[in-house]
Amino acid sequence: MGTETPITVELAEFLQSGLAIVLATRDGDFQADGAVAWAAVVQEDRRRLRVFLHALAGKEMLRNLRSHPEIAVNFDKPTTHRACQVKGTFLSSRAARPSERAMVDRQVDGFASELEAIGIPRPMTAGWKTWPCSALEMTVTHVYEQTPGPGSGEPLR
Amino acid sequence: MIALESLASCLQGIIPAWLYTCSRDGVPNAAILSHVDYVDSRHVALSFQFFNKSKRNVSENPKAMVRLLDPDAMKAYRLKLRFVRTETEGPIFESMRLRIEAIASYSGLKGIFKLLGADIYEVLSVDPIEYEPGLPGAPGGTKPEPPPPASVPFTMKALQEFSDRIHQAATLDCLLEAILETLEKIFGFRHSMILLATDRPDRLEMIACRGYPEGGVGSEVGFGEGIIGMVAEARKPIRVSGMLRHMLYADAVAKRAEARGLCPKDRRIPLPGLAHPETQLGIPLLARSELVGVLCIETDRTYRFHEEDRAYVEVLGGYLAIAIQNALLRERAEEGEEPPARPRPEGTPAAGPPGARAGLRPRIEVEYYASDECVLVGGEYLVRGLPAKILWKVLREHGADGGVEFTNRRLRLDKSLQLPAYKDNLESRLILLRRRLEERCPEIRIAPSGRGRFRLELGAKVALTERP
Repeated sequence: MGTETPITVELAEFLQSGLAIVLATRDGDFQADGAVAWAAVVQEDRRRLRVFLHALAGKEMLRNLRSHPEIAVNFDKPTTHRACQVKGTFLSSRAARPSERAMVDRQVDGFASELEAIGIPRPMTAGWKTWPCSALEMTVTHVYEQTPGPGSGEPLR
Repeated sequence: MIALESLASCLQGIIPAWLYTCSRDGVPNAAILSHVDYVDSRHVALSFQFFNKSKRNVSENPKAMVRLLDPDAMKAYRLKLRFVRTETEGPIFESMRLRIEAIASYSGLKGIFKLLGADIYEVLSVDPIEYEPGLPGAPGGTKPEPPPPASVPFTMKALQEFSDRIHQAATLDCLLEAILETLEKIFGFRHSMILLATDRPDRLEMIACRGYPEGGVGSEVGFGEGIIGMVAEARKPIRVSGMLRHMLYADAVAKRAEARGLCPKDRRIPLPGLAHPETQLGIPLLARSELVGVLCIETDRTYRFHEEDRAYVEVLGGYLAIAIQNALLRERAEEGEEPPARPRPEGTPAAGPPGARAGLRPRIEVEYYASDECVLVGGEYLVRGLPAKILWKVLREHGADGGVEFTNRRLRLDKSLQLPAYKDNLESRLILLRRRLEERCPEIRIAPSGRGRFRLELGAKVALTERP
């Protein structure tokens, strides 16, 4: 990877704004799997991303990531479908810290507000298990446009 | 394995799904899916609209995974899939194509946002996702319950009751009212409309509606436009659930297509009724392979249809089409004789005195544009085509001889109206004209006065102007 990071300051804000986030991994048989994540934090150098997902989901994803570190994280804003996909390599995992819970809750709330705006009321999202979380850290190698329509799948620069 | 049939709610496109794939060189990918379609107990279909990364991945590695969410319980499921083939024709493809093109036309994306294929996947396993258990159950649950989904109303008993009520309608006008009223009272559909084929090819015109305060009788829909136009073109029922989410998705595509100059702006067509419908269902009204019209039902809440509802809906459409066609034929057969005296009797007002009905304008100007066959009242568009020609004829004749009684037979014999010799649909045109006047110009009324007869009633002084 060169010195340029594909994550701009504006994109970093978007990724942390409370979106539909899912990550995808794969096993040794090239079978893909995935899980919902509840929050993401772009690291200061904007070359690393930390993704927060439920600890049980994290455990499942780690089964793949420990042997096959390729990872993709998709971000989608439900009210506009602005979307992008971050691809990279898994670096490490740890349990999310209590000090990080407020940040996770804030992003979950943002996502729930987005869903509310498109007709999925709060009571419907009340059963989400958003804590305890695992925090997975990854390097960012590429970011792709994922907003549906022409140009979807092209690299974002 | 959990039976796919038990996941019917997840397969209605109410909440988007996620598709996970992996390239030949081992890079995973996640993509949002607007709809996963049920094919049979071992297969599902995913739409192929763009040659995107997911499509490339499954072409080189058929293993995939889908996460589905139950919109009632918000419980998630993981479906392990194997890509089998792409279908570009057949019932599954057709059903997906119609739904997508209906949405595309609302967003001005016809021809751009389209189905290239229905990708058929074998379902290898279905498992609940442990850490997405959904809403807590009622016993011991502390969280609020979700709003209950609308129940599926298509039962034989309901259809029987529907049929009984419709049989009682004596005229086409009453029949149309009975259909819409019964749809609400028995099936709970509060917003519905009936559009009938017009004298112009590939156009439908709304003749009756219920649940829309602003009315809309006389609105036109072209074949292929929106859900109604697609139903008319394909002669198949179309149901779209989660309209708002589908429209947002299509709008996102439209913005990108417009930015790249791939489609012009302002090609969007308005939704026919509700501003934010949650579900739309279009039913073709087919009698002896002829398209009589389209029944469109909308709901503002999520409505669950099941596969077997499709058969009920098609039966219902056929039944209504025959009932409408029979009513048209009966009214024509029973239409009245010419009234003996056309000029009004001495001492009888030609029409209601100006201002007799509250809130009416004392004087109105009616303009007829001959080249467009279009009538404007007070500068505002009222009606066009055959209903416009009928109104103009009736007003002119009244102006000339003061006559107020008219018969359908007399209209049929008038060569200037250029009615087709076969199936002129005159009765439906008159209903449309009467309802359009009620909505937009209450100063002029054409009130039924017997079988095949109507009476002109004016609540204002009318000035007539004919323009080329």
